[in-house]
Amino acid sequence: MIHLQKDDTKLMVAVHGWSGILLGLLLYAVVITGMVAVFAEEIGIWSAGHVETRSAFARPIDAVVRKLAARTPERYRRDVSLFEIGDHRLGAFFHDHEIAPNGQPVDRGIYYQLHADGSIDKALEGTGQQVFGPRNDDALSSFLVDTHVRLHVPDPWGLLLTGILGLAMLVAAISGVLIHRHLFKDIFTLRRRANPVLVDRDRHSVAGTWSLPFAFLLAFTGSFFSFFSTVGVPVVAMAAFGGDQQALSDAVFGSPGKPDPSIRPIGNLDRIAADAARRTGGAPTFIAIEHYGRADSTITVFNDPPAGDIEPQTLVYRGATGAFDRVKPSIGTVPSAGGTLVAIMAPIHFGNFAGLLSKAIWFGLGFAMCYVTFTGLRLWLARRRGDAGSLAWLERATTVIGLGLPFALAASAAGFLVTMPAGGAVFWTPTVFLIAAAIAIVSGLLARSNATLDHGLRIATGTLLLILPLIRLAMGGPGWGQVITVGQPIIAALDIAMVAGGGWMLWRALGRRLSAAAVAPVLEPAE
Amino acid sequence: MRARRLIRIAFAGPGAVVISMAMMGGMAIWVPGGAAGIDNLVLPLVLFPLIWAGLFFHACLDSRLTRVAIVALTLFALHAGLVAHRFSQPPAAKEARQ
Repeated sequence: MIHLQKDDTKLMVAVHGWSGILLGLLLYAVVITGMVAVFAEEIGIWSAGHVETRSAFARPIDAVVRKLAARTPERYRRDVSLFEIGDHRLGAFFHDHEIAPNGQPVDRGIYYQLHADGSIDKALEGTGQQVFGPRNDDALSSFLVDTHVRLHVPDPWGLLLTGILGLAMLVAAISGVLIHRHLFKDIFTLRRRANPVLVDRDRHSVAGTWSLPFAFLLAFTGSFFSFFSTVGVPVVAMAAFGGDQQALSDAVFGSPGKPDPSIRPIGNLDRIAADAARRTGGAPTFIAIEHYGRADSTITVFNDPPAGDIEPQTLVYRGATGAFDRVKPSIGTVPSAGGTLVAIMAPIHFGNFAGLLSKAIWFGLGFAMCYVTFTGLRLWLARRRGDAGSLAWLERATTVIGLGLPFALAASAAGFLVTMPAGGAVFWTPTVFLIAAAIAIVSGLLARSNATLDHGLRIATGTLLLILPLIRLAMGGPGWGQVITVGQPIIAALDIAMVAGGGWMLWRALGRRLSAAAVAPVLEPAE
Repeated sequence: MRARRLIRIAFAGPGAVVISMAMMGGMAIWVPGGAAGIDNLVLPLVLFPLIWAGLFFHACLDSRLTRVAIVALTLFALHAGLVAHRFSQPPAAKEARQ
């Protein structure tokens, strides 16, 4: 327990409340999309009906990459990034580096999207930012991730905005600890038969207290990612390298070696991928080739973390021979405190270090964070319901965003499922989201009462979630028999999760109507 | 009283942002590089949100405003001074240090 003086406690209560009120609704949008984006990969599989289970790197890629290299202009053959796209297809980005007018290093080249047989589906030329947009089959998961990362605000402003929201969450988490006079008692206090607002306050406290460490970690790692490229790298590069961001990137991520520009064909990529899989116990997730076709070429193979660890594994091979060179830390050339710290930021933020189990825990804790943010806003408003200045508009806005956002997300999923087979998902997924958001806003303006609005949005969201699996099947998605036969049970699992989530929302909305007492409570002080 | 409150808000708000950015730059110079020679480059990036939070809560909770100002301005002067000193060095000396 932390004992603050009375004035300090009052100040911290104000800081806790205002950090939530000023940025709470935006923060809620970031947290709820982050919660869903924990399962972005699985949602991508579910929504697009991907049934391939074998990694692209477990199939032959060597001949394909050589063919692509042969047709790629020499100016783009400096480096190659190989990764998986869609239904375990191969994506290859042949590129060179250049410095943008703002001083930031950018990659420019040709991004090949391949079919399962290795033939080219699409070839896009431009900078990394220009070519790596959403595709028809991943429009839904891309939309979720982009909403979470930058709220669809252009860079760098979107990242700065989410970084500031991360700091606000950090403030709310730390001040939340400081204002609890009875932290350990609050963890277990749930007065189910008390005044409805006290019940809500207890739930807010319990959910908030249990998820405090998680909120702190997410806010910390999230603001790190948001500020990394927008503020951190330019400032550190300025101090350490006179503003040369490429030099900073090379120092931190590069594989330094003696330059040898003489021409040497690249080693066999299939043998390298197989060797990496043998050493790490799983197929690679990403392969980076530096100095393609030169004697000093290096091939860095990235793999998932080994069992019991959260730091991804990175293996380095000699490009010219394909011979294994060394195990390399993700950051830096040899293990170091700073490198390890940076390497574990991503697994901590994404919750993907222990497969579906850690993702499920991250999802649950993310749900608790959404609950805490939403109920915190409602408690703050309930405390001021009798005050002179009316905050009814903010109460409506809280309901529109708090319940309208899940509704719009479910609607965008429905929009994706309906339009993806015809190839229109990139346009229609965000468009349907906007239409649903507009419906929620107009409902907020027209609804007779906040309770009616609350009730209507819950029913609409629950219904949508309930019918999403039916839409998926109606639009030609794979059935349960097929997905279980091919070893892709996550599709059936998400169907069940959607039905369970929708059913729960409908049960809550229809089985427990909001009483007048619940919407016009007499509130006790929050602390 | 009102002026003191505004000064405190200035240290907790824009002051904390500016000082934590200056510290990020300065730390790249004085933090040891570690085994891989990169700790000085990556630790300031990782610690930036925590430094900001530390400055924010110190400005909010320290009862003595003078101490808030001394701590914040000293940290700023030290780190901004280090960065300025680095920039004032001739290029050859800079390269030798890198």
